[in-house]
Amino acid sequence: MKRELAWQAVLLVLIAGLAWQLLSVTQANLARLGVDSGLGFLWQRAGFEISQKLIPYSADSTIARAFAVALLNTLVLAVAAIVGATLIGTAIGIARLSDNWLVSRLALVYIEIFRNIPSLLQIFFWYFAALRALPRTDSSLALFDSVFLNNRGLFLPSVHAAGGWWWVAAALLLGVAAWRLSRWGRKREQRRLAARWGLLALAGLAGASLLLADLSLQGPQPTRFGFSGGLVLMPEFLSLAVGLSMYNATYIAEIVRSGFVSVPKGQWEAADSLGLPRHLAIRLVLFPQALRAIIPPLSTVYLNLFKGTSLAAAIAYPEVVSVFAGTVNNLVGQPVFIMALTLAVYVFVSLCIALFLNWRNRRLAPSAPP
Amino acid sequence: MSRAARGLLLAGAAVAASTAVAGTLEEVKERGVLRCGVVESSPGFSSIDDAGRRVGFDIDHCKTISAAVFGALRIEYVPVTPHTVFTLLQSGGIDIFPDGATWSFVRDVSLGLDYTGVYLYAGQGFVTRRDAGVESVRDLDGATICIAQGTTLEQNIADYFGRHGMSYTPVTFADIDMGLQAYHADRCDAFTNERLSTAGRIANWPDRDDHVILNEVISKEPFGALVRQDDPRWRDIALWAFNARFAAEELGINQANVDAMRKNSPSAEAQRLLGSRGGFGEKLGLDNDWAYHIIRLVGNYNDSWERHFAPLGLSRGLNASWKDGGLHSALPFR
Repeated sequence: MKRELAWQAVLLVLIAGLAWQLLSVTQANLARLGVDSGLGFLWQRAGFEISQKLIPYSADSTIARAFAVALLNTLVLAVAAIVGATLIGTAIGIARLSDNWLVSRLALVYIEIFRNIPSLLQIFFWYFAALRALPRTDSSLALFDSVFLNNRGLFLPSVHAAGGWWWVAAALLLGVAAWRLSRWGRKREQRRLAARWGLLALAGLAGASLLLADLSLQGPQPTRFGFSGGLVLMPEFLSLAVGLSMYNATYIAEIVRSGFVSVPKGQWEAADSLGLPRHLAIRLVLFPQALRAIIPPLSTVYLNLFKGTSLAAAIAYPEVVSVFAGTVNNLVGQPVFIMALTLAVYVFVSLCIALFLNWRNRRLAPSAPP
Repeated sequence: MSRAARGLLLAGAAVAASTAVAGTLEEVKERGVLRCGVVESSPGFSSIDDAGRRVGFDIDHCKTISAAVFGALRIEYVPVTPHTVFTLLQSGGIDIFPDGATWSFVRDVSLGLDYTGVYLYAGQGFVTRRDAGVESVRDLDGATICIAQGTTLEQNIADYFGRHGMSYTPVTFADIDMGLQAYHADRCDAFTNERLSTAGRIANWPDRDDHVILNEVISKEPFGALVRQDDPRWRDIALWAFNARFAAEELGINQANVDAMRKNSPSAEAQRLLGSRGGFGEKLGLDNDWAYHIIRLVGNYNDSWERHFAPLGLSRGLNASWKDGGLHSALPFR
């Protein structure tokens, strides 16, 4: 035991020494080449524009802010693709199990096609296919004169809070509180009355907050070069979301299928003999058990998908790799620090995804009530 | 080029400087061939034609030096990238690099290299659709613009639009050709890059006539040929060889009439240039008809322009002779 500990200590010292050596050699080399080091560049003026920004940003903002804009773009894309892939994947996975021969074969064909084409090629396909197929700005597809679709993207009216977004946040919080209260009231007969009054008060407050927020819709306005204002979903975003969803959905479909297949046949029969209708049997008996087999491999797919968002750099979607490891690196020329920051972002977010799914999985573990 | 790459090159240059040898002219003559650095593919500047020959405006610069030294075209083209070119020059792997290096302070003073005059005034420009009715960069207010990531392209455009209170949406690609493809697919109202090379890249589009390249530029990139700093004689040869082509244009001497002009021109400067008097070539360590060979084999500056850029629809603009309102002015041969 003592010897084992000693060995581990030696190993630890070796690794630490190696890391230290690597760091100091890098520092010395950078200094010799006259390349600046450190993270001071983050507070420089960025001096370049970004096409999609979820927080206010201009060329006068700092590079740190450009980094935040890019990180948000990465996260939005990842969330959209994860939701899309999960929905498509679950549907296809269940279709694979269908008794209907045609439906299950079609699902199989989908999986075999989209799983076997490199993700990057699919993204290029959707991007250029969409660009060529969509109408030009002067002949946009319009819906109620407020939603427009053309080769510059999907233009939607955006919600504008004249009174400030804080009121909207307050309304949301109050709403959530009201919902919790109603559940609390339902459980205990004697609390019903208190809950009802509380509910009424909370709903009233939430409504007042919404009124104070003074919400309005702002539609895209036609300009000389297409539209401005409103919410724009860029073709790059759309084709990436579609491409990544369709590709990763194939893996999710297989995981969902194997999850359902892994539930012992006896469970079906037991649910049947209890007289549960089919949809209830799936929801109450099969799905909770299948989920335990689905979630662990699902986290691998989510992680892969998240890392796959870096493919966006190839088609001009302004995410971390494109903006930070690309433009900013060209600008300040500190590849060591910039790449380190970029890598750190991926490691950090990946760990967060894994932690969240592990936590979900523990809650679903056999010992916990379903 | 990024600062990082420049740093690496500086390091390479520092190592290589000690191995550089004087007497490039003697070395080239002994070798019997000029080693000229060229970029692999940039239509108009340097590309390979259907017959497999290297052609282009910058290829003509290689030919100019070869004609001056040998009176013939004896050139070994050495393909370079922005990452290798400076080290190659320093270590003697190439004798000259005349293919698209912007003359800037840092490159001139800290790489151990020298420029041999400006041979082309380039700059960041725009290509747009003809039916968009855009006549100047100012008309692009509110436009969506495809860009390729480069050293300064993104900042130049942000500066220009910011300075003029205009807005735009950038669509930024890592790769020039991907950005052009997206523009071609109507993702953007305009595409921006170095103006003349953009013209070369879109020359083969079937719908080329539906696109216009704006005459304006929003940055200046004066291109000059680079040689080693430790050989002033070789730098003089390159500088005056390029200058001979500007002088020939000003004196009305071109590839077609050079033989007649050599016999008949009454101008003393033309006679000194073409070697029938003055013995100027010898002073450079060359034959006296060195400039005659340049004009005979390559032509004057305008001949090269007509051959390579005019077919792409590019007018001389800033690159016209000073007599026509441009910036090129030949140094006098006297």
